[in-house]
Amino acid sequence: MEAKEDALKYKKKLKPYEIRRVWIERVVIWIAIILTMFPIVAIVAASMAPGSSFTQETIFPKSINFDNYVKVIKDTDFLIWVKNSLIICFFVSIIQLAITIPAAFAFSRMRFKGRKYGLMSLLLLQMFPSMLAVSAILVIAYSIPNGMDNMLVLILFMCGGSAYNIWLVKGYIDSLPKELDEAALVDGASVFQVFTKIIIPLLRPMLVVIFLFSFIGQYSEFVLTSALMKSADMQTVATGLRTFITNNFSANWTQYSAAAIMASLPIVIIFLGGQKYIAKGLVAGAIKG
Amino acid sequence: MQNIVTNGTKREIHRKSSRVNSNANPYNYLAPALISIFILTFLPIVYTVVISFTNYSLNTMHNVKLIGIDNFKDILSGPFTKVFLPVFGWTFIFAIVSTFGCFLIGLILALLLNDKNMKEAPVYKAILVLPWALPATIAVLSWQGLLNAQYGAINIALMHLHIISKPIQWLTSPTLAKVGVLMATLWLGFPYMMNVCMGSLSAIPDDYYEAAEIDGASAFTKFFKITLPSITRTAYPLLISSFAFNFNNFGSAFLITQGGPPRPTSQYAGYTDILASTIYNMSMTYNRYALGAAMSIILFFIIAIISYVQMRASGQFKEVE
Repeated sequence: MEAKEDALKYKKKLKPYEIRRVWIERVVIWIAIILTMFPIVAIVAASMAPGSSFTQETIFPKSINFDNYVKVIKDTDFLIWVKNSLIICFFVSIIQLAITIPAAFAFSRMRFKGRKYGLMSLLLLQMFPSMLAVSAILVIAYSIPNGMDNMLVLILFMCGGSAYNIWLVKGYIDSLPKELDEAALVDGASVFQVFTKIIIPLLRPMLVVIFLFSFIGQYSEFVLTSALMKSADMQTVATGLRTFITNNFSANWTQYSAAAIMASLPIVIIFLGGQKYIAKGLVAGAIKG
Repeated sequence: MQNIVTNGTKREIHRKSSRVNSNANPYNYLAPALISIFILTFLPIVYTVVISFTNYSLNTMHNVKLIGIDNFKDILSGPFTKVFLPVFGWTFIFAIVSTFGCFLIGLILALLLNDKNMKEAPVYKAILVLPWALPATIAVLSWQGLLNAQYGAINIALMHLHIISKPIQWLTSPTLAKVGVLMATLWLGFPYMMNVCMGSLSAIPDDYYEAAEIDGASAFTKFFKITLPSITRTAYPLLISSFAFNFNNFGSAFLITQGGPPRPTSQYAGYTDILASTIYNMSMTYNRYALGAAMSIILFFIIAIISYVQMRASGQFKEVE
């Protein structure tokens, strides 16, 4: 970084061709930004448009109001969906972390029989997303009592996909200096103490990030939720928003937009806040993959 | 635990040493993960395999019997071939176009943003990354509204700019529906690739370019001999995993068009259905669980082959050693 700044200082004046090039690049990027922002701006605009805007003819409404937001909160099950989503995402992420960390610790710090094949089969299982087993999961849910419309069953099935997280956390524990554990072991600490007193505190910042990204990932889960949750009051944000479409979307487009914005905003904020971790590749793929 | 450390009485030391063995047993740490993965992931997979060899459907629920590989025969060479093959072809095209399209757009933008003379580049990057930050399901759902012929913002904008005179039927024409689905997928996916490319661009040492400059290399040569090879090396495994992801990209297919417009030749899959959404429909809409399971197994083998190539490429197998 410093070297780059120094280099800039030496070049006091940009050469004409450099200035031309930067301006061409800027124009291309501005076009890209317009295309990128267009859908977002259009939805924000629609959410503030009056009426159903079934016959909306301009992108920007002539008058702005927040009626749609009020209607979504008052007249639809939106708050129930948010509540369900929060419960499911919270518990799935917490349970996954609790399952993942000890296993990642063992895979990273211990040598034992079956370690190699264990890791390999984790890789293999991670290739088979739980949505491919949706036929089997449905049959199972139908055959056990209270299997359908049961949040606990859904949370359990969603927790099954922790293989990838084990790899993620294992990679991070691998990067912690081994000398720390060795010193503690020499001082008479047990392996469990190494785990609870050294590894977990060091992992703490990482755990928050993994928790948040796992949370975001579950927030978008659609397949299992829509398969297992049939009744209207068990929908999540992802499946609930879709009912706007199945229930005559055209009349509801402005309300849908308002709901979509309210549902997306917290996630966008979390995501942008954690962006520096994504850049490090630490949680890459944990969100959409 | 705290007590044991602070009060080092004899009895507690003794207790501690006897506990060391169980503390150090790796299987205790693995048990929660192994048990949960076994029950919640592995057993459903096994059950999927079992179902795929039966005639399980809504009609046969109380009379399920093993029928061998008939489901696979039906899909690969029997009556369901005309459902499977077009869907398979479109899945492939969809995955290739969206993976390489995202990569290309991401690469170009990353190269532009990498210009050191553009001081405001971080601002642009923060804006361009936005689609990635959105919850995918909600973003994809919104595209259905954006593409709507009557009130969709895309048609409104195109008409106001006088590019088109009457609305484009995005969701009812097979070709346009495919274009629409791809547009949404590219929009949603390019920021990730841009991020990947920017990361690998900043990892290229400046010395390379300085050395090339001294040797009199043109900008063109520098790009093809230094920049592109370096980026491909880091991006290659990510490209493959992104391909595997798009191969399975249920959301784009199902939530924008619901797989439609429907094919006149078959009720089971529309023009924009990919394998993953066809499997979902087989189980959810038509209750043909056995056929859905058999398709899952076929899809699994395809993904497994892709992922195997990816793991070889990224050296994940070496990490296991």
